[in-house]
Amino acid sequence: MENFLPSHLIERLAQIGEADIVVGIPSYNNARTIGHVVRACSAGLAKYFPHRRSVLINSDGGSKDGTPEVVLRTELEAESLLLVAPQRLHPIQRISTAYHGVPGKGSAFRTIFAVARQLNAKACIVVDADLRSIAPHWMDLLASPILDREFDFIAPYYLRHKYDGTITNGIIYPMTRALFGKRVRQPIGGDFGFSGRLAARYLEKNVWETDVARFGIDIWMTLTAIAEGFRIGQSYLGAKLHDAKDPGADLTSMFRQVVGSMFGLLETYEEIWKNVHSSEPVPMFGLPFDVGVEPIHVNVERMIKAYCQGVRDLQEIYAQVLEQETREGLLACSRLSPTEFRMPDELWVHVVYEFAAAYHRRKLDRQHLMESLVPLYLGRTASFVLEVQEADAAQVEERIEQLCAVFEAEKPYLRKHWGVEAGKESSHANPA
Amino acid sequence: MQTLLEKAFVEPFQRLAEQLAAVVPALVSLVVILLVGGALAYATRRLVQRLLQMVRFDQFVAESGLAGTIERARLFRSPSDFGARLAQGAVWVFVILFALMAMPSEMTQSLVVRFVNYIPDLLAAALVLLLGTIISKFLARSTLLAAVNAQWPAARLIAGTVRVLVMLLAVVMALEQLRIGQSALLLTFAILFGGIVLAAAIAFGYGARDLAREWLQTKLRSREQETEETFHHL
Repeated sequence: MENFLPSHLIERLAQIGEADIVVGIPSYNNARTIGHVVRACSAGLAKYFPHRRSVLINSDGGSKDGTPEVVLRTELEAESLLLVAPQRLHPIQRISTAYHGVPGKGSAFRTIFAVARQLNAKACIVVDADLRSIAPHWMDLLASPILDREFDFIAPYYLRHKYDGTITNGIIYPMTRALFGKRVRQPIGGDFGFSGRLAARYLEKNVWETDVARFGIDIWMTLTAIAEGFRIGQSYLGAKLHDAKDPGADLTSMFRQVVGSMFGLLETYEEIWKNVHSSEPVPMFGLPFDVGVEPIHVNVERMIKAYCQGVRDLQEIYAQVLEQETREGLLACSRLSPTEFRMPDELWVHVVYEFAAAYHRRKLDRQHLMESLVPLYLGRTASFVLEVQEADAAQVEERIEQLCAVFEAEKPYLRKHWGVEAGKESSHANPA
Repeated sequence: MQTLLEKAFVEPFQRLAEQLAAVVPALVSLVVILLVGGALAYATRRLVQRLLQMVRFDQFVAESGLAGTIERARLFRSPSDFGARLAQGAVWVFVILFALMAMPSEMTQSLVVRFVNYIPDLLAAALVLLLGTIISKFLARSTLLAAVNAQWPAARLIAGTVRVLVMLLAVVMALEQLRIGQSALLLTFAILFGGIVLAAAIAFGYGARDLAREWLQTKLRSREQETEETFHHL
């Protein structure tokens, strides 16, 4: 297998030898927040895994604000953090390295996977560098199920504001569940735990020149683990609070990378999802508790305006992708007043499934196809925000459950548009 | 008397017979070439259509966005039908040239030679036009999507302008390849292009001052609003 790591990193890893746990932090200009993340991870490793050999690696995309220096300089202050002096047999090794390849989170992860393989790690954890809510116990919740219970992939389970994570709530979670049969609530959470053998499996794939090398990495990791039959779980991590904005993350390209990667995976694992007929919960670790979430400002009017302009100006594109009935439904929504604006679940599910089928059948240039879905997504987001503005967290979760049920019920609609003959489906329930 | 009779009637008939003897075989071969050529062109069309369907040409064209243009023309059933008829037309051109070569006339033969020498230029011009159509369509769609996602009010107008300008450039290049009004065309294009840019600048700055102000204000406002938003999509 080709080793793409720089020689100085290989030498450093050779000096370290082996590790039980590798914690990876991808970064790009995160000097302001990464110190806290490094402290939380180090404290967690010291407290929960004092006898394990641990390596903390920062995979940086060429930060200009001194992010790598912050990683290497940050003091652990374990005694004041943990109120105990941890008796470690092995000190936590800390490395900061620049990754190579397509600039993006996925390329940073690839370096972390390679380090985990090189060190023969048993468990690997990845966490975002802009997290403000990360706490030491995250290390325990993400690594222990892998080290002690033979799980291969642990997804995060957060409490988020009802308007937060709209791509997750409106597309990614319902599709993951309906198509692959596993109720992983935050498939693109970004903070994962996974086994060394799964990291090695990821490295075998040839996806590092695609959108997977960018923001597509999260959904790719989750769906690969599910579709290839690895043991999946999720851990309750509490609230997820980010830094104000992801640097350089504009909605159109982020949306294209995430949703496009998911549509691409439907092609890769076609034989898996077409034989899944129901969904099941996945084991949950950690004790769920209530937390306060930060208030969020959403400009609904702007989203509705974007939707209406899309429906008006992109008619020619939609005519190539969507059924007439779906287009009429979208047009009817665009005529509603901003206060009455709603997009029914069934219409939204048909839009997503028809786009997924159009992606598969290459009805349009794929980049154009994904970009043309953005205004419709904004319309659906506006509809959701208006619908749940008076609802509490439990009611919102119930509302998302309803949407998931429609995604599951309408799966034959995707099969029909995809080109899968109903008679060819096998009868067994859920192999994934 | 006999000489007069021969000169008045027999000799013209003899000359006519001689000329007919020279032309009729050529005419017969012309008809035969056209009949055989017609059958060959038809067979080529069917064969090309089959081949294009086999290599999923319709799907490829649909992806490039040209299918809409072909459908809107309402002359062809599908892109593969268009390709097949194009091949049929090309065979017909060669059949007609071949038939003209069979005519014992210097004029037709020199016409054929000139036409044959012109074929590379014709093909190059056709290729330029084809590429121009594909590129203009693709760029117009990219512009439209970028403008819609940036919520620019005149998204379609901007995309349409991009398409017209790229097509205009392709047409000028094609005509230059065909050596039709080379310098005049280039000059016209330069004046037209410069004129459009200048007119747009003047219109934006003076004629549509209020619109420009309003547009910029809207743009800045939406930027501000966007930065106000604090939720994460992922």
